[in-house]
Order: sequence, then C-alpha cells, then structure tokens
Amino acid sequence: MGENSVKVKMADTSTWRNQESKHPAVVDLDDMEMEIVDKDDSDYETNFSDSRPPQQSQQKSKEGVYLEDMRKRFQDNVTSMMWQAGSQQAKKAWSIYGNIDILRPYFNVEPHEVRSRLMYSLFPQKPTDHRQRVPRELYGPLMVIFTMIALLLLQMKTADHKVEEGTLMGTAFGVCFSYWIGASSFVWFLCYVCNCHMTMLQILSMMGYGLFGHCIVIFLGTIIHTSHDHLFFYILWAVFGGISTLRMVCIVISRTHGQTQRMFIGGAIAALHLLFLLYLHFAYHQVVEDLSQVFDHMPAINHPAPQSLPQTLTETIVEQAVQGNNSVQHIVRS
Amino acid sequence: MLILICKYNNVCQQCDSDGSDPSAKWISFRSDVLNTSKTLAVLNPLKQADHTIMQDTDLAGPLVFCLAFGGSLMLAGKLQFGYIYGIGVVGCLAVYALLNLMSMTGVSAGITVSVLGYCLLPMVILSFSSILLSLQGIIGIVLVCVAVVWCSLSASKLFVSALEMDQQQLLVAYPCALVYGVFALLTVF
Repeated sequence: MGENSVKVKMADTSTWRNQESKHPAVVDLDDMEMEIVDKDDSDYETNFSDSRPPQQSQQKSKEGVYLEDMRKRFQDNVTSMMWQAGSQQAKKAWSIYGNIDILRPYFNVEPHEVRSRLMYSLFPQKPTDHRQRVPRELYGPLMVIFTMIALLLLQMKTADHKVEEGTLMGTAFGVCFSYWIGASSFVWFLCYVCNCHMTMLQILSMMGYGLFGHCIVIFLGTIIHTSHDHLFFYILWAVFGGISTLRMVCIVISRTHGQTQRMFIGGAIAALHLLFLLYLHFAYHQVVEDLSQVFDHMPAINHPAPQSLPQTLTETIVEQAVQGNNSVQHIVRS
Repeated sequence: MLILICKYNNVCQQCDSDGSDPSAKWISFRSDVLNTSKTLAVLNPLKQADHTIMQDTDLAGPLVFCLAFGGSLMLAGKLQFGYIYGIGVVGCLAVYALLNLMSMTGVSAGITVSVLGYCLLPMVILSFSSILLSLQGIIGIVLVCVAVVWCSLSASKLFVSALEMDQQQLLVAYPCALVYGVFALLTVF
C-alpha cells in the first residue's frame, strides 16, 4: 500500500512536471520585453474595450458623439452671436461717423460766395471788438488744396524734380493735405489752450482759404523764371504770403482775449504759413535755379574766341588728367 | 468696334439629313458700342444736353477713349497706361465724393466714370496732335487750355443736366478742370 501510494505520488509528480513543461513557472524576461515593446499604449491609457462588455462600449461611444455635437453647436452659436453683435456695432459706428451727409451742409455754396471769399482772403481787416466772421465751408478750401496740388505737379514737372521713393502725385497730395490738416489741428490745439473761440471747421476753412496766396506765388514763380537770385520770389512771398497771413492773424486776434495769447497764436500761424511757402519753393523749385547757374558759369561760354569742339574737349580732358595726377602725387607723398 | 462671333451646330434638318458639317454663322455684328448721342454732346459743349442721356451708364466708350489716349501717348514715345489708370481712378473717386456732397439726389459711380470717360475725347485729340507738334511752346499752351476748358465744360454740362444743379455749373466744372489738367500734364511732359 505504501509502495502504491508512493507510485501514485510519483505519477502525480510526473503529470505535474508534464504540466509545468507546457506552462513553465520560470518567467522568460526576453519574451515579456518583446511583448511590452510591441504595445503602443501609454502608461495612462487603459483599454477598457477589452475588459468591458460590448453593449456598454456602444452606449459610451454614443454619449461621446452626442457631447461632441453639443459642443460644436454651442461653439457655432457663440460665434454667430459674436459676429452679429460686432457687425451691428460696426454699422452703428459707420452710420454715425462715416455718414457723408454730415459734411453735406459745408458744401452747399454758390459760385459768387466762393469768389468773394477767395478775394477777401487777400484783404486783411483791422481787428476790432467785434469778432470777424469765418465761414464754415469746405468746398472752397478743398478746391484751393487741389489747385495747389496741381500747381506743385506743374512745378515739379517743369523743374524735372525726381522722387526716389514714391510718385510726384503722391508727394504733392501728402505735402498739401498734411499741412492743411496738421497745421489746422495744431492751431486748434493752440486755440483751445489760449481760449480762442474758433471751431475746427472754421480753422480748416480759414487756413484753406489762406493758401490761395500760396497758389498765386507758386503759379507766378513757375511761369516766370529768374536766374541767379530769388528776389522775385521773396517779393511775392512778402506780398501775397504776408497779406494772407495778416488776414488770418487779424481774425484770430479779434476772437482772442489777452495780449500774450494773441501774440502766441498770431506768431504760430504766421510762422507756419510763411515757412510752408518757403519750403514749397526751395524743395521743388530749386533745381531750376541751380541748372541756370551751372549753364551761366560754364567756361566755354565766357571764352572770347570761339574754338572747335574737339579742341575744347581735348583741353578739358588734359586739364582734368593733370589735376588728377597732382592729387595722387600729393596723397603718395603725405 | 466689337464683333460677336457665334458658332453653333445643328443648323437645320436639311443639313442633318445631308450629313454635312455643322457650319459657323455670324450671329451679330455690332458697331455702335460708342454712344453717339453722348459723343456728340461732348463734341458740342455749348449745346443743351438732354437729362435722360445719363441714364445709360455704359463704360465701353470711356474704355475706348482711355485706350486711345494711352495709345496716342505711346506713339509719342510715352508709355503711361499706369498713370492714366491711376489718375483716372483717383479723379473719378474725388469727383464722385464731391458730387454726392453737393447734390441733393446723389450720383452713382457708374455715371461719374461714364461722364468723365466720354469727356476725355478732347484730350485724346490733344494727345494725337502732340505727335505732330510740340506742346511746350505758346501754341501748346493755347491748345492745352482749349482742351481742358472743352473737357470740363462738357463734363459739367452733363453732370448739371443729370443732377439738376444749374446754378452750380462753375463749381462742378472747376474740379473737372483740375482732373483734366493733370491729364494734360501727362500729355505735355
């Protein structure tokens, strides 16, 4: 019996060993590593699909899709609401500030009114206790600005002025409109500081009509060329520039209280107005004067006896070569 | 001149039965792209213009005149199509804004471009004359002044008749004169 039990145990052991050979208890780490490398899952990802039953996974995916739809719909609604609110605000702002009808009253003028205002811009009135009237009009000043642009173009074309970056038209537009709006804004600020009773529109109108004198000076200076000196221009500058400046200064003085304030604003307007005319002349007309001076001072013109052209050229070349040689020798010695 | 050509198949039963090839047929031949009434109104600035003349805003005439202007300048040795386009656009915008501010009824951009384009005809004549003679002398100055006044008078007449601004023709003519003056600068220099 004892021997049989041992044998049974032995048989059991052998079966156990057979089972172990099929499923060994020794763990092969290489195989486990290979298995781990093949998997793409991160440490934080868990694959519930394998562990959950199939019905629950379908329900969960449906819920996910529903949530996604909800999120997308909410996003679209918010976007459309923001777009509608923004476009309404923009339309409201445009209707208030971009409405061209705001400026319509300032262009309602008759030809005789524009003519008389242009003439009176060159006739200063002595300031009294009564305020001098300034029309709130934009047609006349705008036409004066456009005229000045056209005259500047004529001046630049006549003087063969070249603009490196930009165009002649762009330069003329930029210069004229920048001065009109910039100088008017500066004068408006000074009027605010010095308590002068003038609105921005009145200042724009006054400064615009004041440029009529500049147009006359530019036109006469372009069609009448004088070489060597600028006396003719300075005379025109003093007469027409001075008259139109005096007109504006008288208007401002009649509307300002206090000597210091009057001097301050009057001086600023005079400086801006007269210096701008000087700039327009010397920036775009100087080329003509320089060319005329060069042609007048050429040695061939002042030579008494006429020489043939090749002989003159030969002498000039030889002279330049000698001068260059002398300068090189001087540099070498130093 | 604009010629429309149309080619179509399936002309008639006889052709189909004969088995002949489908033939091309000239559908229409238009030679009146230029509005003659507007052109005549421009050529005669002193004649009263009909206020219904501006109801038709065609742009073919202005395009033809602009191309003719650029072509004549090209024959004179100046390639300035870009300048014509730029000055034209800026001028049209300025006149459009000004007329909308000055008139009670307002004006459309098409009418502005159409009127300014048709009234460029005298400037085209001036540019053709610049091929034959120099415009930088006394004769040139006189011709330029005549052309600019002619263009601006015609344009202001058409605008005033369309917008009922009879008392303000001079105020409309002056900005038109400035625009055509810039075109004259292109022709002269």
